[in-house]
Amino acid sequence: MLIGIDVGGTTTDAVLIDKGKTIKTSKVPTDHDHLLECLMGALDEVVREVPTEEIERVVLSTTLITNLIAEGKADPVALIIEPGPGMNHQDLTLGGEVRIVGGAIDYRGREIEPLDEDQVKKAAAALSERGYRKVAVASKFGQRNHTHEEKMREIVLRTHPEMTVEMGHRASGRLNFPRRAATAVLKAAAQERYRKFAEEVAEAISKRDIKAPIYILKADGGTLPLATSVEYPVETIFSGPAASTMGVLALTPPGQTSVVVDIGGTTTDLALILDGLPLISSKGARVDSHLTHIRAFAVKSVALGGDSRVRAEGQTVTLGPDRAGPGFCLGGPQPTPTDAMRLLNLISIGDETLAEEAMAKLGGDLGCSAGEAAQKVVDAAVEILVGEIDGMFLAWEEEPAYRVWEILQKEKIRPQNVVGVGGGSLGLVPLVAERLGAEGIIPEDAAVANAIGAAVARPTLTLSFRADTERGFYTVAEDGTTGEIRDKKLGQKEAEALAKRLIVERAERMGIGEYAREAEVTSSEVFNMVRGWATTGRILDVGMQIPAGLIPEWTGGGRG
Amino acid sequence: MRSPREQKGEPKKMGLIFFPAFDWAITPTHPEREERLLYTRDQIFEEGLMDLPEVEEYKPRLAEHKDVARVHFCIPSVEALVTEAHLIAAGSTLVLADAYMKGDITNAFALVRPPGHHSMRVAHGNRGFCNVNNEAIMVEYIRKKYGIRRVAIIDTDVHHGDGTQEIFYHDPDVLFISFHQDGRTLYPGSGFVDEQGGPKAIGRTINIPLPPETPDEGIHYVLEELVLPILKEFRPQLVVNSAGQDNHYTDPLANMRFSAQGYARLNEMLAPDIAVLEGGYAIETALPYVNCGIILAMAGLDYSNVLEPDYHPGRFSMSRTMEANITGTVEYLQGIWEAREKLTAKAVERAGPFFRRRKDIFYDTDGIRERQTESVKMCPDKGCPGYMTIDTDAARGYGHSDSGFGVFVPLFACKSCREEGREEYEAHKTDSRYNYIFFQDKNRDDYRLYSTRMHNERVY
Repeated sequence: MLIGIDVGGTTTDAVLIDKGKTIKTSKVPTDHDHLLECLMGALDEVVREVPTEEIERVVLSTTLITNLIAEGKADPVALIIEPGPGMNHQDLTLGGEVRIVGGAIDYRGREIEPLDEDQVKKAAAALSERGYRKVAVASKFGQRNHTHEEKMREIVLRTHPEMTVEMGHRASGRLNFPRRAATAVLKAAAQERYRKFAEEVAEAISKRDIKAPIYILKADGGTLPLATSVEYPVETIFSGPAASTMGVLALTPPGQTSVVVDIGGTTTDLALILDGLPLISSKGARVDSHLTHIRAFAVKSVALGGDSRVRAEGQTVTLGPDRAGPGFCLGGPQPTPTDAMRLLNLISIGDETLAEEAMAKLGGDLGCSAGEAAQKVVDAAVEILVGEIDGMFLAWEEEPAYRVWEILQKEKIRPQNVVGVGGGSLGLVPLVAERLGAEGIIPEDAAVANAIGAAVARPTLTLSFRADTERGFYTVAEDGTTGEIRDKKLGQKEAEALAKRLIVERAERMGIGEYAREAEVTSSEVFNMVRGWATTGRILDVGMQIPAGLIPEWTGGGRG
Repeated sequence: MRSPREQKGEPKKMGLIFFPAFDWAITPTHPEREERLLYTRDQIFEEGLMDLPEVEEYKPRLAEHKDVARVHFCIPSVEALVTEAHLIAAGSTLVLADAYMKGDITNAFALVRPPGHHSMRVAHGNRGFCNVNNEAIMVEYIRKKYGIRRVAIIDTDVHHGDGTQEIFYHDPDVLFISFHQDGRTLYPGSGFVDEQGGPKAIGRTINIPLPPETPDEGIHYVLEELVLPILKEFRPQLVVNSAGQDNHYTDPLANMRFSAQGYARLNEMLAPDIAVLEGGYAIETALPYVNCGIILAMAGLDYSNVLEPDYHPGRFSMSRTMEANITGTVEYLQGIWEAREKLTAKAVERAGPFFRRRKDIFYDTDGIRERQTESVKMCPDKGCPGYMTIDTDAARGYGHSDSGFGVFVPLFACKSCREEGREEYEAHKTDSRYNYIFFQDKNRDDYRLYSTRMHNERVY
């Protein structure tokens, strides 16, 4: 049996799955200050009377980090950067203090100026005096050569043993130094609280005599063993939309192109599944005001929901972005989209007479009948959603591309399905689908699709391998592994084989070795380095991943 | 001119297309190969330039064959001469042109390859790494689509922009200025001060040959004393920088002493509306820094920290002789510019009813020798540049030769030139001396290619 628990903004949902069927569900109100209690409350309801030895897997999502950061409650972190030549990063702000030190590394990982160790010492002393206990260090091109970041870390720790230091190249190995710095800062800010939370969760679950492995859901729809996740606390942000998307993946036929529509009280989250693969944002996620390297689904949040404020402007209706409260038909103070849908029988919750009263009031302002007013509200909502969905596909088509084949092969794709999940306003889904010429689907378990998604999501993993045979070494961006390469003419096949071996090793270190065989090459490129008309070496880039997907134990959704 | 975006009163935003064509090369070891913009990619992505609110990254698209036919007589055909990479490089400039004209961006940089400024109107193959002329394709697209007339193209590549010069040589509405390493010391061996434009457009082509080893100081002097005052007077509706990066002090194919700081400052001073990458082959020591500097300068950001590892301010200076040489050139060209109306009148008078010139053109990359005779009608209508015919014959090794006859009717040609041009085209369809007959009528946006062997006509 599989268990999935998803902490949402208003409710925490849990499911118990057996042989591809959801056999129990629960919903408890979310209390962001007592997340552990919510998780356990939802868990206890689904495992009651279930023999604990039959539980094979527990996956949970958490809003801990999202809220810590949004509420500014994360630990203060100072940043020491070594920017080298290029942009002026004097004004870089990531919340805490930023100190700039001398030294430089270039795009191929060569030292072009030694690190100014004295400046590092002075920076550390000043930051310690200012009360900082957490520091992130980041060097431009530090992912191609770690020595300066390691030296910075060593100096800070030697002179101030009470400090903890996070290094940029450990947060991510991708190009984009400000994002690496930001990701390292967030990790430093969140790690201590997250570790405590993870320990409490492990303890609470073990107290319930559940011995199944525990996983946490990440923003890219993948799972990580709870113990390993302590090293990647920030990757647990935005797991809510990821859970819903994985739920839709689980509840629709494989290989299709779908729009995931999760309509809440005041916002609607939209995500895309293209040919059975959830769309990952090409750049990292924006966390609060920080651009990061964290892999996340490309989710669009639209300020529209069942509780949105409805305004009459002349004869037209505008919706949101603020909240008017629960629908009038549910005892709220004002007309909302929920009332409109109730009156048009698109949903069945709420009192019909009250809904009519609300729409009659709106119709009075608009100069039309209650029914016409309701139709206008629904039309306006559908219009907004269709526009946003079109915009997402367009944005995907307009993603920059750097190779001839990418420009030639990118085609226009439109959805086969519009899939509604979540609690509220599912009545809009068929209307949106009709406008897009797609099939509207509301799965049987739509209300707990998020928890199902968590329960059946498999681990994800990426690996960016880069060899510079002229300089004789390779690097793995994600974890800073480096190694020697003796063969200047290393071929593409050999590079891919090496990358494959490295991702298997990495998967094993992370406790997800059994999924390593799912790893696939996502990009592979060779650049011959020519100096003076002779080939002097090669740069080989290989990208590998275990993409978001479902565990083989899941036999629901037509997969059995 | 104030850009459409400035007229809308919106904050500054720079448009950028980065298209390194990581899967395209002329040959595996050619300077124009996959690796060329690899380290530039590393530098500008590592800086996070694409995340800046001042920078908007766009996706390239393919230019249409018609966009190419609007500028070039491609032999044997557009389809045969261009690869997809060429269409994408040209198409990138069109994406940015549209965004600029719509006011979505204040200025733009097409950081794309393959380059184009050595491609002339007649294109038999690859010359100086170029098949089709990206800037010319963009300028003619903008003029046709948006009704702009006066354009200035400043070629800042170390090599003379002979292709762009040739395409606009007789167009009084396109000011072409090229500064470059003296043609006596560098490919393509042209771009001397006496190449000043056709009879009806004297002074609208300005060539500034510079001595080898000219540093930042020399180029900034030329800009300040000559280029900027001329631009101010010409009042172009669009300024294009044909932005080569091979004036750099480390470029392996040339001998100048320009730095990343120098390039950034140049773009700040020139303030081009659209810049398009041309050459530049110091792929490690120059391009990452030069491109970073240009992007920051065009986005209006601080570029003072963009320094090559071995560079320090004051590293290169000018000798007295060099200074005198440059000052002399600038003074001479100022004189030409000031006297342009008089010189034009005299040249038209001397030319008679048709201006004719013969040209020998060598395609270094493809080893083609072409002979051309160009003939321009000296139309009595003062505002009409006159229609032009080109007779071309190209030898490719032994025994293979391609000949063609093209008629070109400019965008602002008068009615009788448009009619005469059309008649010339029709009359030559039965002329068996040529394999191909071309026709460009920019006013009607009508481009044709007639094969005298197959007796068929293609309309682009």
